[in-house]
Amino acid sequence: MGQVNQKQAANVAIWLLLLTAPVWMGWIGGYTELGSRVLVNALAAMGLNILLGYTGVLSFGQAAYFGLGAYGTAMTIKYLVPSTMVGMVVGVLIGTAAAALIGPLIVRLRGVYFAMVTIAFGQVFYFITFRWYTVTGGDDGVNNWYRQPIDLGFVKLDILHSGVLFYYFILFFFAISLLLMAFVLRSPFGRTLLAIRENERRARFLGIPVERHIWLSFVISGFFCSIAGTLYALLNNFVDPRSLYWGLSGNFVIMAVLGGMRSFWGPLVGAVIFVVLQDYVSSMTENWESFIGLFFVLVVLFFPRGVLGIIRRRVTS
Amino acid sequence: MTLLKVENASRHFGSLVAVDKVSLNVEEGELRAIIGPNGAGKTTFFNLISGLVTPTAGKIIFKGEDVTHLLPARRVWRGMARTFQITEIFPELTVRENLRIPVESAAGFRLSAWMSRAADEEVQARVAELMQMCALDDKADRLVGELSHGDQRATEIMMALALKPSLLLLDEPTAGMGDQETYDITRLIRKLHKDQKLTIVLVEHDMRVVFHLADRIMVLAEGAMLAEGTPDEIAKNELVQAAYLGKAA
Amino acid sequence: MTQLILFNVINGLIVGAFYALMALGLSLILNLSGVINFAHGGFLAIGGYIAYVLIPFIGFWGALLIAPFLTAAIGLIVERIMIRPLYGRDPLYSLLLTFGLAYIFEDGTRFIFGATSVPYQVPNWLMQPLSTDYFFLTGYRMFMMILVAAAVIGLYLILTRTRLGMRIRAGTLDLETVSVLGVNVRVLRNLNFGLGIYLAGLAGVLAAGMLGLSPTIGTSLIMPSFVTIIVGGLGSLPGTLLGGLLIGVASGVTTVFFPSATEAVIYVLMGIVLLVRPRGLLGEEGRF
Repeated sequence: MGQVNQKQAANVAIWLLLLTAPVWMGWIGGYTELGSRVLVNALAAMGLNILLGYTGVLSFGQAAYFGLGAYGTAMTIKYLVPSTMVGMVVGVLIGTAAAALIGPLIVRLRGVYFAMVTIAFGQVFYFITFRWYTVTGGDDGVNNWYRQPIDLGFVKLDILHSGVLFYYFILFFFAISLLLMAFVLRSPFGRTLLAIRENERRARFLGIPVERHIWLSFVISGFFCSIAGTLYALLNNFVDPRSLYWGLSGNFVIMAVLGGMRSFWGPLVGAVIFVVLQDYVSSMTENWESFIGLFFVLVVLFFPRGVLGIIRRRVTS
Repeated sequence: MTLLKVENASRHFGSLVAVDKVSLNVEEGELRAIIGPNGAGKTTFFNLISGLVTPTAGKIIFKGEDVTHLLPARRVWRGMARTFQITEIFPELTVRENLRIPVESAAGFRLSAWMSRAADEEVQARVAELMQMCALDDKADRLVGELSHGDQRATEIMMALALKPSLLLLDEPTAGMGDQETYDITRLIRKLHKDQKLTIVLVEHDMRVVFHLADRIMVLAEGAMLAEGTPDEIAKNELVQAAYLGKAA
Repeated sequence: MTQLILFNVINGLIVGAFYALMALGLSLILNLSGVINFAHGGFLAIGGYIAYVLIPFIGFWGALLIAPFLTAAIGLIVERIMIRPLYGRDPLYSLLLTFGLAYIFEDGTRFIFGATSVPYQVPNWLMQPLSTDYFFLTGYRMFMMILVAAAVIGLYLILTRTRLGMRIRAGTLDLETVSVLGVNVRVLRNLNFGLGIYLAGLAGVLAAGMLGLSPTIGTSLIMPSFVTIIVGGLGSLPGTLLGGLLIGVASGVTTVFFPSATEAVIYVLMGIVLLVRPRGLLGEEGRF
């Protein structure tokens, strides 16, 4: 029972830290927008981890659904309805639908081939947004639009001009997403995903239709990644093809691995480290990409279990 | 009632004939053993029945239904469960978790995002019951990957049992076990056969186990059926003796 | 119209042959070691840049000859130090590692040579069209075609006539048995990787002459290589060759009718193949 209390305490601590971030970030040299960016990346990495850490499939193309969510939101606000909520809904719908459609094409593959195809599909969308200049603005991206203040009737939330308010806006959706995610992962369905990860053959011979469940996992992951994408677009008031690029998919994976694939909070830990590091290094040098690359290499060679993986080992042994 | 009927099943791998027109009738409540020298095609035959592999010819009929081309997961839904020669369990999950998954699967909870408290308690009770049956309840929260070979095999058999199967297929359940473990597993299988009235088909190498448990025995050699009968008949069968001794010589 | 289509089909074959060259190296490494070398594009770029550096000293032909070998040497070192530790592990890690390497290579070449294209000198006589009628058949394109053909034939000979080649082929089918038979699997993987990188380096030198040399040249070419392998077939080198030519031609023909879909069409092809025959056109069953 001690272990359960430990987990609960950790949960409470994490939420407290997240809730008070705008307050203490300034003390350690950070700034609110950085916190917002961490949350957005963390959500995407956690969405990816449903596939990677829980279902055990090597998906390397989640940036596609992230980016589609972002584009859906940006283009809706710019061209259709200047409403943040509508933009978000459209973005999530598009991202999730794409995942649902692509899923069946790849669930018959495994291992590195699965990874290759997820990357390839990610690139399809990259190319489409890049080339379809007239609609998506091509390499210039979708700009000249802004996240719209939210009118709740009794109060108007100016998330455009208040960075702090927007941080809490993001935190709100982050929290809801996490609640949903935890709910799904702890359900009987969630357990079938673990089964597939642990031993696909055994899962099949326990009556679990593996391909169907992998597809569902893919869709659920796409759903959360697209939510993260919509928040990303709103955060930057801008979106460009880079949000669909395979490099970004790789970043999400490294966040999950770095923090610890096998634990729920792992990707958040990884996102904190990665985003902060990236922010710091890119302000120091133009060649921050080399450092990111080096970072990947070092994590893989020396930190494969991730931060939480190492901590967990120390606790149980 | 004939639970399982295999009609002239064959499986070719290119020019290699792994299973050659083998037929099998298993009545409800039987414990049937399949024996034969190494490479006789026993595991491939099992794979045909359970759906891991499709036959190149022949039919598999289970409970009167033609399941020849049915996906493995669906055969499980119809009441077929199996274990594997190399134990297939979930190594980084606990015994309790390993058993919970098939219990939920059998109860239809595969796609559920939610379980009522009552259902949850039922599942937990059933898991506890299964663990007691094979004396694993003191190891309930240990990772299965860390257990002894015999305990892993017992867990696997319990997982198959958790599916509430009508037919249990056991592929070399005592493989790689010492005498004590073999004895324990044999006792467990016997208990399942008698108490749960399960129909069991067993592939085995250990003759003591086979002769102790089986109602009828089928002998396979080089992919084809060599002989079939009661343990007594098989023990006296010269062809069978030649097949085994011939291979050994 | 027919001349236009002909032009594009031939152009497509040439481009496709080039994709195939790159994908063959990738496929070699993937089949034997199960590693997706995401840095393959980076090695391609390195090959091009090494040649660029060597040209003032040993000329175009010298660079063409030497650069791929030097690139392969770098590949051998990288494999030994960074990839070898990862073989026993989940393929996730080698993919992440090569991902990281891709970043390093691209940024590294940008750091050393600058972000803009550098001029890559190809001998003038090579750039002349072979005839005024078929103006599109420049000497360089034919030269590339010939070189790719030579490389493919060379690869075929290595794989079928040399001991190394036979071991690679055997290892691709069953690495365990090969190691039990006394072959040093580590060295085999290392040399196989080197061979694959040689092809990448060669592709880089050729690409430099055709597309110009810039740090992003590798990353822009790696995706068609992926699609080539997926379409042509997993685990099959002839499939990779076929896949490359196929997507090259498909791309070329599409340019005539839907110019903006030129790149997208290869992914459409990939989607169709995945739907109808997931293992690829000439792929082996059970590879995944």
